[in-house]
Amino acid sequence: MSAFIQYTLQGLAAGGFYALAALGLAVIFGVLGVVNFAHGACYMLGAVVSAVLLDVVGLHFWPALVIVPILMFLFGVLLERVFVQWLLRLDVLYNFLLTFGIALVLVDLVKRRYGVSGLPYEQPAGLRGQLHLGSLSLPTYQVFVFAFSMLVCVLVWLLLTRTRIGMIVRASTEEPERTRALGINVNRWVTPVFGFGIGLAGLAGVLAAPFRAITADMGGNFVIILFAVVVIGGLGSVLGAVVAGFLVGLVEAYGQAYASSFSQIAIFVLMALVILVRPAGLFGRQETA
Amino acid sequence: MARKTKSAAIAACMTGALVLAGCGGGGPSAGGGKISDDKVVLAVLNDQSGVYKDLSGPNSVEAVKMAVADYQKKYGDKAVASDIEVISADHQNKPDIANTKAQEMYDRQKADIILDVPTSSAALAVAGVAKQKKKLFIDVGAGTTELTGASCNKYTFHWAYDTAMLAKGAASQVKNGGKKWSLVYPDYAFGQDMNKSFTSAIKEGGGTVQQSIPTPFPNDNFATFITKAASSKPDVIGTMAAGGDLINFVKQFNQSGMRDKATLAVGLMFITDIHSLGVDQFAGTTFTDAWYWNFDKKNREWADRFKEKTDTRPSFAHAANYSAALQYLEAVQRAGTDDSDAVVGELEGKKLNDVFLRDGEVRADHNVIHDTYLAEVKKKSEVNEPWDYEKIINTIPAADAYEPVSKACSL
Amino acid sequence: MTEQSAPTAQLEQTAEVAPARRSTVRWVLLAIGLVAAIALPWFVYPPVAMDIAAWALFAISVDLLLGYTGLLSFGHAAFWGSSAYVTGLIAIHVGVPFPVAILGGMLFAMLIAVPIGYLSVRRTGIYFAMVTLAFAQMIYFVANQWHSLTGGENGLQGIPRSFFGIEQVETDAFYFYYAAVGLILLGAWAAWRILHSPFGRVLVAIRDNPARARALGYDVERYKVVVFVLSAGLAGLAGGVFSISHGFASLQELAWTTSGKVVLPVLGGIGTLWGGPVGAALVVLLEDKLATIGFDGIGIITGSIFIVIVLLFRRGLWGTARTVLQGLADRRHRAPRD
Repeated sequence: MSAFIQYTLQGLAAGGFYALAALGLAVIFGVLGVVNFAHGACYMLGAVVSAVLLDVVGLHFWPALVIVPILMFLFGVLLERVFVQWLLRLDVLYNFLLTFGIALVLVDLVKRRYGVSGLPYEQPAGLRGQLHLGSLSLPTYQVFVFAFSMLVCVLVWLLLTRTRIGMIVRASTEEPERTRALGINVNRWVTPVFGFGIGLAGLAGVLAAPFRAITADMGGNFVIILFAVVVIGGLGSVLGAVVAGFLVGLVEAYGQAYASSFSQIAIFVLMALVILVRPAGLFGRQETA
Repeated sequence: MARKTKSAAIAACMTGALVLAGCGGGGPSAGGGKISDDKVVLAVLNDQSGVYKDLSGPNSVEAVKMAVADYQKKYGDKAVASDIEVISADHQNKPDIANTKAQEMYDRQKADIILDVPTSSAALAVAGVAKQKKKLFIDVGAGTTELTGASCNKYTFHWAYDTAMLAKGAASQVKNGGKKWSLVYPDYAFGQDMNKSFTSAIKEGGGTVQQSIPTPFPNDNFATFITKAASSKPDVIGTMAAGGDLINFVKQFNQSGMRDKATLAVGLMFITDIHSLGVDQFAGTTFTDAWYWNFDKKNREWADRFKEKTDTRPSFAHAANYSAALQYLEAVQRAGTDDSDAVVGELEGKKLNDVFLRDGEVRADHNVIHDTYLAEVKKKSEVNEPWDYEKIINTIPAADAYEPVSKACSL
Repeated sequence: MTEQSAPTAQLEQTAEVAPARRSTVRWVLLAIGLVAAIALPWFVYPPVAMDIAAWALFAISVDLLLGYTGLLSFGHAAFWGSSAYVTGLIAIHVGVPFPVAILGGMLFAMLIAVPIGYLSVRRTGIYFAMVTLAFAQMIYFVANQWHSLTGGENGLQGIPRSFFGIEQVETDAFYFYYAAVGLILLGAWAAWRILHSPFGRVLVAIRDNPARARALGYDVERYKVVVFVLSAGLAGLAGGVFSISHGFASLQELAWTTSGKVVLPVLGGIGTLWGGPVGAALVVLLEDKLATIGFDGIGIITGSIFIVIVLLFRRGLWGTARTVLQGLADRRHRAPRD
């Protein structure tokens, strides 16, 4: 039983991380209708920038947690202004091609500059060791990632539901025409929202630095998992992305624990089932699918 | 230079438009002449842009060039191969590109031998080409025992390491006290082979394998696997993850606190892995090494020369590529020709010794065996200079370091 | 997501030229294509030429779905790859001449496309792409696990190239090209026939306005399943040629990165049929050249090309060239009247 609880906790921890990483993808799709295949590369960039800042100017984990997402936000704004804004009225296919192209370029630039073997990163102060709870033992850092991800998800949720900006953003997601008719300039929010999504990807990257390999390729397969999470949750649904993140984390943990060889396919089986049974994902608007 | 050869070949084809023969790439080289095309061409085909770039990649080309220089220095005017060229290509770890490039190297660039080729599927594909074209292929970078097993052929040699050798080296620590093992392996051919080899080697050594846990490949999240592996309270946890996955595993292993409770044994690790993650994260980890630059004076001298050219320390793959190129040229020298069959004849059954091969021997299955080492990663406080990361705990003599000649192989 | 009209809707209108002239142009293009296919191995290293031909047919198969039916499949690796394996297994274990083995691989790809297509075509847009990806990943998983049959990650090695005992074809890539390119041309011709048939016109109607096609009494889902299976067959044909050409089939053939080759027709121009081969030639030649050039930034170059295409030449290389040429032709045509 204690093993089961341990696996559950690990699944929730992994799920929180997926939810946070997928959040930006969901927000970007929701507001811009852009399928951002470069999200994995931006996540990678967040981790690489943290490692480089630590190495060059000695910027540690805690300040990086604030500074790197801001840098990534600015990078996102730049990306939107230079490339993505031309996509807004085009088919999803062109999104895919352009953002895929951006990802390829970013990954290779990092490879050329920082090599292929990965960059070192320290264990953040105050988060080393394990937390013990009876017979259970969890890495402190894992618990922190879970708690922090939850906090960010809740904050984003409050931002979207309790503030005027959030109302406008949500309205322009769900009823773009009517929002425009009410005299709200929807386009004004496109750039900051894209930057915000990229900032969230960067934040996930900072969180990843202490417990994952920091290499140029770290976002390659990760982005596929994130897409699965977002699709399972329902495209454009922020709540869906969070719930699906946990679902995927739990399915993965139980799969790894009880059916190891099948764990790698579990997420895709889950995705196929969800799409076939609920055409627009768990929380997408079903009638339009 | 690649382009030149190619356009010349195209020109030849165009002028002989009606005589179709020869345009698809010539047959095997003429056996009579001393040196085909008056030139010996060594081709390095490996990963120059992906995950294996640092541990082999462009620096292996440098190592091969060092071998050429040493050969020329040793024999001077008496060298059979007076004109030697080293060419290279990036197979991007894709077997189809490796396969096409290998054909092109043999046919159009007149390569007499192809070297390195990491990634097992790519190596096996190139072995097939070597067999068809009757040209030499010495693999260094791939780990599969298939190369000297069911897929072996007369023209293919396997130089530095294979999965069985890695297992035998690691299992040698059973007698140092690591009796109970849990294995975690990525669920694809390499990992499955490693798991099998490790399990039998550990049993032979008198240890037990409590669990064998397959993981996805590639994989970022090892938390649950580590918990599961630790649940049987093993002395040693063996991971067969490599590259980025290995770093993921080690970071999460350290965070889980298991480092104080069990030894971590890594199936396949290069010194470049230790360098990139930092020696502290790996401290105390054991692994099988085929060669270590700071093992003795001879290695160190070679490593110093390597550093002058590349500004870094060599991995065992670099040294093995040097050794393979050097022994090939020595065989050409003995044979007095670069004719493939004659050179193969000069390699088969030979006892070889150089900076990489200690007590080396080319076996009947073309597996080149040699002494191997069980290494432990030093603590940060024990490191005296950059790249000084390893303590050699055991030396496994060549005769015990590999599986016996495979029955599946008939040349 | 609503049933959206495909991005190609605006592309087809370029073809509004006098029917007689259009048909002449069409035949001239076919002739040029044929000559190009025959001349290719004289200018390009034959194994590379074979790769171009195989990827060209794969790109056509994707275009059939994407450009003409408006379905973006992100799981076409399943058909390319499973045919590569089945072709290889037949060639190894049965020892039939290679075209027969490839036919077997193609049929297998179509067979698995029936259930996958049946389940997937009810979804559109990204959901369709992701559900096809999920199925492709499941097939990848099976191939990886079934080590004894497929060789797992090591790949299925040593696929023979038997061809009625004609030694040149069996051992020489140059002659093999001519023996195999016929299959590719046959596949391309089939795609051309499909598109210029009443069936093809229904597909375009579905792409442009599914609701209207349904209202006209067409069973939209059935049409989609049929074209999905046909497309899978073409991808399978291409994958079979690829595995015979290389003499092995590897897991890479089934990986999602192979499905990612859907970019090929987009580079060339979707909904043009010719765009696929143009995109395939570009990417294969680029990959080949960059392997020896000593520049380790392949992604920087291919990525930049993708970006430039989307931002500046959205109709793809072929689509843009066609528009420009047509513009010139129309201007010359009108010139006397001006």
